[in-house]
Amino acid sequence: MSAAAILSAAQAIGGGVQPHLSFRDLRKVYADGVAALDGVSADVGKGEFCVVLGPSGSGKSTLLRVVNGLTDLTSGTMTLGDTALSPKSLRSIRRRVAMVHQQFNLVERASVSSNVLAGAVAEVPSWRALLGWYPDHLRDRACEVVARVGLDEIHLPRRASALSGGQQQRVGIARALLLKPEVILADEPVASLDPAISREVLGLLREAAREQGATVLCSLHQTDLAREFADRIIGMRKGRVVFDGPPHLFDSTAEGKLYEGLTAPAHQPATREQAYA
Amino acid sequence: MREGELAIGAHHPRPARDWHLPAPYDWRAALAVLLVALALIWSGNRMEVDKMLGLTGEAVLSAVGVQETSQVGRGLGRMLGALFPFVIEDRMEMARLTDIDRDALPMFTRIEAVEVTTFRMNAETLKAEPQVEVKEYLVHPFGYLTKVLGKMVETFEIAIWATIISVILSLPLAFFGARNYTPNRFAYSASRGVVSFLRAMPELIIAMFLVLGFGFGAIAGYLALGLHGAGFLGKFYAEDIEAADRKPQEALTALGAGKLRVLRAAVLPQVAPSYVAYTLYILDRNVRMAAVIGLVGAGGIGQELKGRYDTFEYGHVGTILLVIFLTVFVLDQISARVRSRLIG
Repeated sequence: MSAAAILSAAQAIGGGVQPHLSFRDLRKVYADGVAALDGVSADVGKGEFCVVLGPSGSGKSTLLRVVNGLTDLTSGTMTLGDTALSPKSLRSIRRRVAMVHQQFNLVERASVSSNVLAGAVAEVPSWRALLGWYPDHLRDRACEVVARVGLDEIHLPRRASALSGGQQQRVGIARALLLKPEVILADEPVASLDPAISREVLGLLREAAREQGATVLCSLHQTDLAREFADRIIGMRKGRVVFDGPPHLFDSTAEGKLYEGLTAPAHQPATREQAYA
Repeated sequence: MREGELAIGAHHPRPARDWHLPAPYDWRAALAVLLVALALIWSGNRMEVDKMLGLTGEAVLSAVGVQETSQVGRGLGRMLGALFPFVIEDRMEMARLTDIDRDALPMFTRIEAVEVTTFRMNAETLKAEPQVEVKEYLVHPFGYLTKVLGKMVETFEIAIWATIISVILSLPLAFFGARNYTPNRFAYSASRGVVSFLRAMPELIIAMFLVLGFGFGAIAGYLALGLHGAGFLGKFYAEDIEAADRKPQEALTALGAGKLRVLRAAVLPQVAPSYVAYTLYILDRNVRMAAVIGLVGAGGIGQELKGRYDTFEYGHVGTILLVIFLTVFVLDQISARVRSRLIG
């Protein structure tokens, strides 16, 4: 057993969960000199719902985007299972990792069904991808996941832009679930939604991921939501991990470490109009 | 947002009465307007805009009867008068039709006898004397219209094939010419260069060159229009790809999709309506231009138009112009409907 494996085994919490994602001394310095990640090390166990909590600019989005290589690391290593992220393994890692986005990132003009099926565009043969002709089993699977996220058959042909924000994020989650990914990255999945809808969507994400045994890394800025939904909280501030533990240990002292000295409390302005029922 | 920006709330805000919104225009805008006006005055002199206005005014005044005559009115009037009545029948001298059976004329045709008075010199008196001759014509009442419609169909075919060529050529040009999809700077510059070149070459000139290579006829016509159209579509398609919403593209990239798949699944649905609109515009333009490039022998209705115009058969020219107008008009209605259905 390597030293890293022993370390990650020691850090894995919740008793006996296998480390699934491991971060070792991640650093990311953007071109403007801002260090978004400043030596982040953590392990996420298989099947965990892990919330990355922190104020704006704490580096939580960057941490998520490192997992599927949307952001290049300056230094450090990210490992998914046995595979270390490298330019060579990038494609294969991306196929095992799905992502749910703050702005839903749907093709607004396209129908719900084609948005969901687009989640398999990297998996089908080229000719199928170019014709947009997905095989039967994927189309059946698409219906299954659309139903799983609480949408109805009548939503399938509707344009994504015709749906409410909460429904659009459900479509985003359905797209992420389509290929039964090992890991789901959820980057501020409810920042554009009102509080009631946020709870529904987060609950749905957690349950659906748990059914499939998927590990979830979900960034949030609302401490109450993190306490409510997380199996585990990684608190970040200025690119460093300042808290790592189960939600019941995330007390006001820990919260202070994340937010003290910030005049604007944990609130990130949503670029999309908030809240549609 | 970076952490530093959150501290904005920490500075002491000024009271609102000290706030200040800049005026929407400043002296630079005024100067720019002045310069443009001066340039237009200078150019207007060179382009004889005053003369144009004067002559047009005269023509309008004479048309409504305020003024007796006008130079422009006379010139245009004579020409327009000659266009009417439109010639829609086709007549051929019977004497020249050798193998025709008078008892079984082709459908719809009839024979017309016309008395023609010719002056012949009498060899004895050395005077020109009138002689009445009867000439027979085989008249097809819609013959010429049918012929023009046939030519119009040919023109439309040229336009369709030109559009197909434009679309096929412009797709790779758009891919390499879109900044966010081109594989490298060289491909980008090369593609943009080709697109600018194709757009800069007038189709009439391209057609003239191609007629030298491919001979008279439709091939030169649709190739010329297709190349020119590719210049337009390549530019518009590429700019739409660049302007498409990046968020769904990032979502599919994150799932491991390569550039072509992202383009197909995240960009194409966004740009499809405007692609259809551009393509319909190019088709519409090709129909009109197909009528023009016939002038240099590149097939279609333009060749017929040029022939009739050169032989002063303005009645025939009138029919041709009417058919072109009606075709463009109908096409416009259809494309407006297709567009509204796609964009709505």
